[in-house]
Amino acid sequence: MRTYELIFIVDPRVSDEDVVTLIQEYKQMISAGGSEISTEENWGRRKLAYPIEKLTEGKYVFLGITSQNGKTSLPEVEHRMRQNDKILRYLTVRTDEDLKRAARRKPSGRGPAGTGGAGTGVMDEPVDDDLDTGDEV
Amino acid sequence: MTMTRPRKVFFRRRKVCKFCADKIDYIDYKDVKLLQQFIPERSKILPRRISGTCATHQRPLQQAIKRARHLALIPFTTD
Repeated sequence: MRTYELIFIVDPRVSDEDVVTLIQEYKQMISAGGSEISTEENWGRRKLAYPIEKLTEGKYVFLGITSQNGKTSLPEVEHRMRQNDKILRYLTVRTDEDLKRAARRKPSGRGPAGTGGAGTGVMDEPVDDDLDTGDEV
Repeated sequence: MTMTRPRKVFFRRRKVCKFCADKIDYIDYKDVKLLQQFIPERSKILPRRISGTCATHQRPLQQAIKRARHLALIPFTTD
């Protein structure tokens, strides 16, 4: 089984309804290719870290995809996205291998698992980047 | 050279890999808050020598940062 993540950024000038139809279209393509959509998240309007095509905002859409037999229509979906001017960016990532590797590493680690976790690093100490003050002889 | 200056003692904190310490095995490119700790002012990827991240985790970290950059979640550069 393979899992993928597909994220794309839609032009913010596109209305929310059109975004939904766009998602629908891609989802149809994906399921027609023999994979399932496991998660769908619409992150909505987000500020871009840098302007893309002179736009400072974008609408993010996240799709989690699972494929049982390893066949997907993702290349076609990517192709379509490339040709669509409303899509500013897209990224497909295959995640099953990395997640498996991470799961393998977990039991071997000492101590109780599940301290910290993703996204809780705010309270941690900042990294110490001033190493040493020059000490003259 | 008879003057003996009291030697300043430096306490250098032992650097530990954040991912090993916090048991983060999968570094998600969507976790901007986490990645931000490894991109200082100029938005460059913080080297291992400074952050103390181990090689096993620096590699996926680098990959995650690059993915996040592509999706404009974090900047390539700031000026």
